[in-house]
Amino acid sequence: MVQSKKQKYTFLAFCLVPTFIMFAVFTLYPLFSGLYYSFFDWSGASQDKEFIGLANYITLIKDAIIPNTIIHDYFLVITKVIGIMILAMFFAVALTQLKIKEAPFYRIVFFFPNIMSVVVIGILWTFIYNPNLGLVNSGLEFLGLENWARPWLGDENWALPSLVLPSIWAGIGLFMLMLMGGIANVSKSYYEAAEIDGANQWQQFWKVTLPLVWPQIKISVLYIVITTLNGSFIIVQVMTGGGPNNSTHVMGSYLYQQAFVQYNFGYGATIGVMILILSLLTVLILQFLLRRDKVEY
Amino acid sequence: MFVKRSIGQILGRTGIRLPLVLWTIAVLYPIFWMFLGSFKSNAEIYRNPWGIPESFHLQNFVEAWTNYNIDISVFNSLIVTAIGAVLTLVMAIPTAYAIERINFRGSKLLFTLYVSGMMIPMVLGWIPLFFLLMQLNLLDNIFGLAIVYAVSQLPFSIFVLTSFISTIPKSLEESAAMDGMSPYRVLWKIVTPLSMSGIITVTIMNAIQFWNEYFMALIFLQSSENYTLALAIDYISSEAQYTNAWGTLFASLVIAIVPVIILYAIFQQRIAKGMTEGAIKG
Repeated sequence: MVQSKKQKYTFLAFCLVPTFIMFAVFTLYPLFSGLYYSFFDWSGASQDKEFIGLANYITLIKDAIIPNTIIHDYFLVITKVIGIMILAMFFAVALTQLKIKEAPFYRIVFFFPNIMSVVVIGILWTFIYNPNLGLVNSGLEFLGLENWARPWLGDENWALPSLVLPSIWAGIGLFMLMLMGGIANVSKSYYEAAEIDGANQWQQFWKVTLPLVWPQIKISVLYIVITTLNGSFIIVQVMTGGGPNNSTHVMGSYLYQQAFVQYNFGYGATIGVMILILSLLTVLILQFLLRRDKVEY
Repeated sequence: MFVKRSIGQILGRTGIRLPLVLWTIAVLYPIFWMFLGSFKSNAEIYRNPWGIPESFHLQNFVEAWTNYNIDISVFNSLIVTAIGAVLTLVMAIPTAYAIERINFRGSKLLFTLYVSGMMIPMVLGWIPLFFLLMQLNLLDNIFGLAIVYAVSQLPFSIFVLTSFISTIPKSLEESAAMDGMSPYRVLWKIVTPLSMSGIITVTIMNAIQFWNEYFMALIFLQSSENYTLALAIDYISSEAQYTNAWGTLFASLVIAIVPVIILYAIFQQRIAKGMTEGAIKG
């Protein structure tokens, strides 16, 4: 290309600088600034911002609610990973390997909740769990299991597990598609070879499908973990607001409550730093645990 | 022998279909039920919460539209979605093009920086962002929210657009540059039209994201005349605890979901592909 160095750099600056300034101002600066805020006691009014060193972090360690929020977050992570991966894998295998005519229909339906708003999902499921009108309790009564009926979201022991089902319901489609993409890339000849060797369908699944779609499984698990740790508070906020009696608070919803409801912005930022560190650590550990040499036959 | 085997196969097929059919019902029934509920009166919702409405009346929609200011929040959501989606493109296309096609030092690093933005929990940044918007007079302002939305989708958009631009043959740009076309015109007249498919995918994904978004709107908007649809629905939902205006709530849920259903019906494959690609970044 015939253009001077100066022209090239002007064009480059035109392409990169405005976008980067926006990204720096609205993403990078707030993140680092959040780190900085965590060393202050601050209720939002600019005059009473007081540097208190690590005091927020000491409060964090002593705060009896914090360990529960962490446990709740990881409870959601683990149950979602197990629930979504098992169902998504089952559906992905069924829709690719079993030559079902109406497979595209299932694919389209199962994916749809992935693009629904969390608000709509949350309110819909709040209604499904409604103690008087809800589908769950009506269903249990219909089956003659009245004793099992309970105010699901109002029960301290059941509120958090009740949040798992909507999350799985809303998440499965995407991971099913990712796994289907992986299975579609596995050459038919492996299955033919396995069949000649006398492997039944179950053995084929364990020995052929699973190892060969391992990269997709790994990405799916990581993605579920990241999106849950970074976003589980949204469904919590919509469905329970952290209640009853803090039994469903996750780290993010507790941050919201501390910062934007009780105006402890410094302490809120400290919780944010904890979320950042925990989610980065979790991803690193997971990447180490899930490493497995690429299988090639 | 032949007959026996096919019976076994039929049974196997039915067995495998059962979970598929059950999950289809689990997905579709609540959504259908939400539509049905939006046509029922409150009394009927109590009497017959899960069945077909006795008569279809539109009172709930009228109520939501006029008494609960859904009209204003639909308008706000449309503005935020449109401005956010356009702004994302204006910022993402030049950067994606430069990262993919121009050799400069640090291009890999810049790309990594943007893409890692997809993995960072932004909730920490929302506290300082709140005060930043306040200083810029953009707090409780739908244009401020649109800017925040646009920047939040930059990592995803740059990621998908770079991979898309990399599939365009270089020769077209080179010959245009030979003919004396400036790089700005190459970007605008050659690269942008050729990556239109990628741009459409990214825009649909971003638009759905902005239309649905709830939490940033909750933090950055305060007065009810600025509420987006998600906030208005959340408000109606918390009101309904006392007013029992469930029908109105369902009508507003339907208003929120219909545009998404229409987009999904038209662009189903694009959306599915865009989302899976966005997730497979490792």
